[in-house]
Amino acid sequence: MKYLYYYPEKCTGCRQCAMACSLNKFGECNPKRSAISIVRDEFERYEFAIFCMQCEDAPCMDVCHSGSYYVEDNIIKHDDNKCILCRLCAAVCPHSAITTMGKDLVKCDLCDGDPKCVKYCSTEALVYEEETKEQASRRRELAKKILSTS
Amino acid sequence: MYDRKMAIVDLSKGKVKEYTIPKKWQRGFLGGRGINSYLLYNLIEKGIDPFSPKNVLVLGVGPLGGTLAPSSSRFNASGLSPETGILGDSNCGGFFGPELRFAGFDHLVLRGKSKKPSYVNVQDGEIEIRDAKDYWGLDTYEVQISLRKDLGDVESVVTGVAGENKVRMACLRTGVKNAAGRCGMGALMGSKNVKAVVASGVNGVKVEHPQRMLELMEEIKDYLMGSKITPILGSQGTPLLYEVSNALGAIRTKNSQLNVWSDSLNAEELEQHVEKMISCSSCFTHCRHRNKFDGEGPEYTAVGLLGANLGLDHYPDIIKLNNTCNELGLDVSSAGSVLGWAFELYERGIIDKKMTGQEIGFGDFELANDLLHKISRREGFGDILAESSQAAKKFGPKSKDYLIAVKNLPQSDPHDIRYIKAFGLGIATASRGADHLRSRPTIEIFFRLPQEVKEQIYGKGATTDPTVYDGKAQAVHFSDNIFATIDSLGLCKFICHGFNSPHYLKYEHFSKLLYAVTGSEFKEKELENIGKRIIDTERLFNFKHGVTAKDDTLPKRYFDDPMKQGVSKGHRIERKGFDKMKKEYYKLRKWDEKGRVKPQRKKHIESHGGLP
Repeated sequence: MKYLYYYPEKCTGCRQCAMACSLNKFGECNPKRSAISIVRDEFERYEFAIFCMQCEDAPCMDVCHSGSYYVEDNIIKHDDNKCILCRLCAAVCPHSAITTMGKDLVKCDLCDGDPKCVKYCSTEALVYEEETKEQASRRRELAKKILSTS
Repeated sequence: MYDRKMAIVDLSKGKVKEYTIPKKWQRGFLGGRGINSYLLYNLIEKGIDPFSPKNVLVLGVGPLGGTLAPSSSRFNASGLSPETGILGDSNCGGFFGPELRFAGFDHLVLRGKSKKPSYVNVQDGEIEIRDAKDYWGLDTYEVQISLRKDLGDVESVVTGVAGENKVRMACLRTGVKNAAGRCGMGALMGSKNVKAVVASGVNGVKVEHPQRMLELMEEIKDYLMGSKITPILGSQGTPLLYEVSNALGAIRTKNSQLNVWSDSLNAEELEQHVEKMISCSSCFTHCRHRNKFDGEGPEYTAVGLLGANLGLDHYPDIIKLNNTCNELGLDVSSAGSVLGWAFELYERGIIDKKMTGQEIGFGDFELANDLLHKISRREGFGDILAESSQAAKKFGPKSKDYLIAVKNLPQSDPHDIRYIKAFGLGIATASRGADHLRSRPTIEIFFRLPQEVKEQIYGKGATTDPTVYDGKAQAVHFSDNIFATIDSLGLCKFICHGFNSPHYLKYEHFSKLLYAVTGSEFKEKELENIGKRIIDTERLFNFKHGVTAKDDTLPKRYFDDPMKQGVSKGHRIERKGFDKMKKEYYKLRKWDEKGRVKPQRKKHIESHGGLP
């Protein structure tokens, strides 16, 4: 199964991921109306991406009264037509990854296996990868780092 | 073409008037710098003092600003410059420009003067002038942190302590280090009793052809990332230019008395002091350093002008001076140039201790840092230095021989242009004074680039030799035009064809991006013509405010003193060669022999109409 992975140390805070997401979903560039949010503060010196982690035991699905959430190809998806916009899912999401704005609720659906956010990331801070492959490469990088510094 | 809004905020009357930006302006000037310059030409009367309430401060974003378009973070801040008395215009990155669009406005004009310290809040289509008594007196970091604490996730463009004190080289700041740095726009904001313009908005920028934009941007991303310079800029930032320049023997050192400086300021030496490279909004390049001294930067300008130009060679000192300028709200380029000038004047006995109050000279970090603070508060000798090039009135006429400035604007580029003739013509004719970001024909110093590649960019007759005078007018003309266009689109010129690389964005890319975002077709030639129209508008503005052809010149030292060291030893700008370049440049611009825009052209520009 492929997931979205994020490496904050590689993220430069440019928000192209969020620009692309909002453009794809809503036809506008709006980093606040996106399924991926870059939280950043140049004075506190950080940037961090927040997006749906596709939890196996997903609190959003558990609390939804209107049956708006469903799983397709292992991806948690949201049906706008069934949604009553109570925003409870957004409130309970442990990653604060569900965005609501006016009459829209935005949650990452991995763009049907072709996530736009990844396409416009210039530093590979965001990758869409098989979990075993991602783990292997992450561990290899870690091993190299530890061995070269020891 | 779609509806874009602007507003005039009358600070004296406390009133705000909104306008739809006329289609004719959008077609003729795009936005950003272009519409800003046209507004200045229309709104600023002849003969006013830059600190008069009659002056205006315009903030403007381009039609691609705040979109997926690459490096679409830029906005321009413009007005009659307190530093030079002519066109003041400064381009700035960060996150404010996009946020201003999200808040509903592309251009804001601040006119008049607020009775008490104020800030302008722009939120979701509403504009309000608010009390800033709690923010007055804060440095540029403190005020932005306080505004976020009080108002939430906002982006602000602010003036620092220097701007409040009307220091003529005070900049506007947004974020830690992004600056509308040049021409004293911070002093202009301060003179209006305004501490900040704050933006926040939940609406995005509507894109006319979203899928087309997504596809186009995949291509453009590959194109930009494929350039050799992109990863270097992304790891070293602009300080990479220091070594290039120093190897040529073309680094301004100790107020251009020397032209070679220490290898200790090479970009690789900087890396140990950098925590991470970060971006402005929508940027693939990420050329900005988050340094380990609680700040951001330095850029090449800081390395050159706060380093070599002040006789300093220890990177931590330079980073600290850079951070000091950022906090106080001082333009690094002018501050470094003015300090270097004062140090040489003191060495030569043109000014003395009676005026300075203490021994001053090159190679003293503590002194430089102290003087930056004094400048920002106009304390003691700092009060004189705060006048920037206009300090010559106090220093005496002889001091002008050692001032590295054009049209009263201290030179920004740390390059000593005596070796690189096209750079010389560029700073002599640039519409805001001695500044490289108007027309820097960078490819001039790429020696190994074949003639045909140079000709593809600059046109037939371009040369590979930076030291000759032939073929230089066309290189400057090309760069001037395309930079005016990109400044008006809202994109960063770092990704502009001919600036850092022969492979970056050309008019054809601008045209495609504009179509995807706005749905309007702009042919490549038309976009080039917009650049030319903007240059002519700025020329008209400057001539209205007293500029003549004799002001298109260079510092005396560049003509009269040969360079002393390195590869460039013996080089200077010969007046005859310079005059030839200038004449050719005027011809390309279709200006008359006195450098004036012709009456027919003036009529054409004015035909775009006044305020709706």
